[in-house]
Amino acid sequence: MTDGANAAAGGEVVLRMEGINKAFPGVQALSNMTLDLRHGEVHAVCGENGAGKSTLMKLITGVYQPDSGTMTLNGERLVVRNPNDAYAKGIAIIFQETSLFPELTILENIFMGHELTRPLPGLGRFARRLDYGSMRTKAGEIFGRLGMALDLEARVTDLSVAVKQMVEIAKALSFDSRILILDEPTAALTSKEVDTLFDTIRRLKAHGVSMLYISHRLDEIFQIADRVTVIRDGEFVSTEQVGRVTRDRLVSWMVGRTLHNLYPKEDVPIGEVVLEARGIRQKGVLDGVDLTLRRGEILGLSGLAGAGRTELALVLCGLSRPDAGEIRVDGQRHAIHSYREAMERGIVYVSEDRQKYGLVVPMTVAENVTLPLLRRISSAFGLVDVGREQEITRSYVESLSIKTPGGDFVVSNLSGGNQQKVSVAKALATEPRILILDEPTRGVDVGAKSEIHRIISDLARQGKAIIMISSDLPEVLGMSDRVLVMKNGRKQGELERGALTQESILHMAL
Amino acid sequence: MGRKRIVTRESMLGTIVAAFMLFLALSTNFGTVSGLYSMMLDVSPTIVGAIALSLLIFTGNIDISAGTILGFVGFTAAALAKAGYPAVVFMSAGLLVGVLLAGLNGWIIVAFRVPSIVVTLATNMVHIGFYVTFLPNAGWVLNLSRSFTWLGQGRFFGVVPYIFVIALLVAAVTIWIARYTQFGKTLYAVGGNRQAAIYAGIDPDRTVLKVYLLEGLLLGVAGILKATTANRLMPSVFQGREMIFIAAAVVGGVNIMGGSGKLLGAVFGALLVYMLSITMIYMGFQDYFQFALQGVLILVAVFITVTDFTALRRRFAGALARGGP
Repeated sequence: MTDGANAAAGGEVVLRMEGINKAFPGVQALSNMTLDLRHGEVHAVCGENGAGKSTLMKLITGVYQPDSGTMTLNGERLVVRNPNDAYAKGIAIIFQETSLFPELTILENIFMGHELTRPLPGLGRFARRLDYGSMRTKAGEIFGRLGMALDLEARVTDLSVAVKQMVEIAKALSFDSRILILDEPTAALTSKEVDTLFDTIRRLKAHGVSMLYISHRLDEIFQIADRVTVIRDGEFVSTEQVGRVTRDRLVSWMVGRTLHNLYPKEDVPIGEVVLEARGIRQKGVLDGVDLTLRRGEILGLSGLAGAGRTELALVLCGLSRPDAGEIRVDGQRHAIHSYREAMERGIVYVSEDRQKYGLVVPMTVAENVTLPLLRRISSAFGLVDVGREQEITRSYVESLSIKTPGGDFVVSNLSGGNQQKVSVAKALATEPRILILDEPTRGVDVGAKSEIHRIISDLARQGKAIIMISSDLPEVLGMSDRVLVMKNGRKQGELERGALTQESILHMAL
Repeated sequence: MGRKRIVTRESMLGTIVAAFMLFLALSTNFGTVSGLYSMMLDVSPTIVGAIALSLLIFTGNIDISAGTILGFVGFTAAALAKAGYPAVVFMSAGLLVGVLLAGLNGWIIVAFRVPSIVVTLATNMVHIGFYVTFLPNAGWVLNLSRSFTWLGQGRFFGVVPYIFVIALLVAAVTIWIARYTQFGKTLYAVGGNRQAAIYAGIDPDRTVLKVYLLEGLLLGVAGILKATTANRLMPSVFQGREMIFIAAAVVGGVNIMGGSGKLLGAVFGALLVYMLSITMIYMGFQDYFQFALQGVLILVAVFITVTDFTALRRRFAGALARGGP
């Protein structure tokens, strides 16, 4: 099951974290975290969404400071004040593309902020000029170490994601980084590009660079990593050599928590098929997905970030167009060209990013809830019937228990949970039959969370059909009648309520 | 790899400019000494101004008050010259005024985090009001003597104006700065990806402040170059000049969104805009129609710079294949 190419990289510990704690208002992101990185090893870090991986990386790269605990670098106490400080100490993190300058050349990108200079003839100490020659030589040498030859004068914006990533790696190496953190590096790469990346990683190992490799993709971890650490709910679970651990073991470490059975889901009679999708394809994102949805059903849509769940939802509600595939609503084939058309067919979508897409934040609760209904509550001259506006708002505030002093309260002042309820009210105001909820309880406190679950359950009882996209496994398990697991843009599997366990879902998702 | 690109945007621009010049030389009196002299005289302040604005635009900012700043520069230099001060004094004073006014713009933009277009639009209006209300004679200065005009009206070998040579020198120095100093790179960085610039250790606020000061200095130069060409100073001559500078920059390939473009392009852009305007004069177009045409030119230039042609081609190809959008 493992590939013999990862002989345990020996060597001293270059980076050690002990007893690290980090808390944010309302949540303990990391508690008593330990991690050690050895010289020349590829150390994978694994855990579900929200387990604390990115907080951990931000501590190492100086974006945050730990509340307590120690970090040591090569045996000496390490304090990283800010991202620049991290670079200066030889620690670099590879983002996907956000820290490159699109209009500038590869050479300029690599050396920005730390260009090589030489003195101006004659003026000596007073003025220096950029030394393109030595920069080109150094860049050439770095790319040589990575085993690639690139046109240094090419503009970054013309490059593919994979090559951009190489430029990021070269940039890190130009700081003589000895510790490299790769955060989900293969998320946007084709399998061929992944092979190239792995080659590069092996070369870096040979040059004594130590790497932290954050990934969900267990297959890759078995291919490229020496050791793997699993984090769960901000706590350290285990570190083990890759050769000594199985996939199943890793999954159970990632998941091993007790389930609360507190989800207010009632059993509801499930009716006829209201929505059917066959062969939905979208270049680079969806690879032939089929889906069926019935009245009264709550269909959980599970999978890792990037698996294509939101993209599928956008296709189903007309916000994006597929390259191929058909959608049937109530048995009738419909091409849905716009969200407006979707609403007319009774399909609504509640976005995962309520601040950006779900709500008009500076507007009031009433304005938000009735926004999709403006035409219905206005007179022929376009004047809004304020009475109707208030009436509709009041009824939703009541039925959804939205805690707000009144309908004229500005949405930005509400708590996350109540904002989410307004988002849902907005969707319900159009009296839909099919609701697609994307991460409905993300960023919502425990109390509001269970209220939202009650609302969803109620909606199912009323005969609405619901697709619930969620990364919260207990939520998916507690609320769904059926779960569709997606991976890499494809439907990986389907599970009925009786067969639902966290392990079975994760197995398909990873 | 590492082939040098021969066909760059700038070389194409240079070719267009040369071709245009040839055309004009053959068909109008542009080819005569007096035609060339006119061009060199008129285009010099525009070259410097276009460079000044380009440096700002690289960082993602703009200065709509550049024209009125020129007015203040010109007035300061002229008034001091009239009062009998020597060239060193009135020129330094002019440069200082440029630096101060532009620096003020930069400071407000950085300190209050207000978009540059809003700030400079406001200061532009303030400048206009102040100019007419507070300056003696509403900013007009008449009867300037040789002590002032020697710079603008002097020529090398009887043909090449001093100010043209100065403009080219300024261009050479600033092009060198943009390409060979760290400061130059930070301009592109701040305009290209502000967050990434911060991660690279660059302080965007300091960079923006510095570039406005530099713009002010260059506007001081441009103002003096322009003012010394005549023996009277009229405020109207400067108002609206920033539009020509911006047009020149944009036509020269400077991306209005920031982050890319070459100063050499701005120089060619200045030439091109000038030649377009005299062509229109020769064809008998009305003044305001020229304005319209310059506007169209800017739109076309921006479209070419900003559009991602590969993506556009793909979309059209896709639409055609599917039998319609």
